[in-house]
Amino acid sequence: MESNNEGKEREAAVSCIDVSLTARKKTILNKVSFEVPKGTITGLLGPNGAGKSSLLRIISSLATASSGTVAIFGEPAGEAALRKLSLLPDRGGLPGWQTAAQWLAFAKGIYPDWDQVQCEQLTEDLKIASHTRISSMSRGEEARLQLLTCLSRTAPLVILDEPFTGVDMISREQIASTVVGALADGTRTFLIATHDIREMELLFDHLVMIGNGEIKAARKVDQLRQQGKSVEAFYREVFA
Amino acid sequence: MDEGMPLLFEEFTLNPSRPIYEQFVEQIRARIVSGIIPTGQRLPSVREFAADKRVNPTTAARTYQELERSGLIVTYRGQGTFVTGDMEIIGKARAELARAAVQELKRTAKALGLSVEEMLELGEKED
Repeated sequence: MESNNEGKEREAAVSCIDVSLTARKKTILNKVSFEVPKGTITGLLGPNGAGKSSLLRIISSLATASSGTVAIFGEPAGEAALRKLSLLPDRGGLPGWQTAAQWLAFAKGIYPDWDQVQCEQLTEDLKIASHTRISSMSRGEEARLQLLTCLSRTAPLVILDEPFTGVDMISREQIASTVVGALADGTRTFLIATHDIREMELLFDHLVMIGNGEIKAARKVDQLRQQGKSVEAFYREVFA
Repeated sequence: MDEGMPLLFEEFTLNPSRPIYEQFVEQIRARIVSGIIPTGQRLPSVREFAADKRVNPTTAARTYQELERSGLIVTYRGQGTFVTGDMEIIGKARAELARAAVQELKRTAKALGLSVEEMLELGEKED
């Protein structure tokens, strides 16, 4: 019984085994295998076109791999896994004609795990102007609203795809602080794809490097720093 | 923090090539030993500290663990974390920092082919 519990404790939030994706004869992902340990902030790093978004879409069950397996907290990815994860997609898609408040009321209705108390707290922390129409928001404001939507759910896995693209510095700082605050006591796991390392390098505790659709390296950030390497230096080493 | 005494220097920049918790520990220790952060001062929670500095929460937790191990800060369950009031512990930490600085001084002097006294004398001399 005890060993059973221990196994659960160490179960990965995300586990990919030999995930491949081919589209129109082009290989987008080639036998990708890695794990995201529970309770970590794992960075998925790689240049543009490396396959990060495709991989995240597969992990989020929005796309299907050509081969290989993906497990979310030990269960196969698919419709049933959707309630366990909250995705911030690259390039928004929030309805521009609504105000922030209208959008959040709608989101509350569609997500069964919506936490209204959390939503109100985050609205304050992230300084969201409730009555601003989404179409008239800056990129930074819209990114903050997207993050707010993501984190107002209690889903244990949060996946952020390039949360910083085109976002101003103050918004970046607010987003980073909010991510740290939302990690709470290790009950949540973050998988964050970015090519913008400097903003995030102090946040990550695990790294997965992806290039040309293949995993190039996976490391603990602590170990890199013990060797005198920054995340950025390691990134250069892997991709130079 | 409650009374507005920041744990770190405003302009403190982190070196991303060194363990982050080590840098926090060094900074906070120096600020406690020099009295900039007074004894009995309440520290922010690990979570607040991590969110404020935008670092991984385990980095913040590790920082507090190290400082607690040396006795410089103390956590009272349900009340929070405070700078120790034990002057002996603070004195010991101060002596340790002084010893390390003197060692460094000796190394530098040796590299210059001087005794520490000679180096100090040379360094104080006006051109």
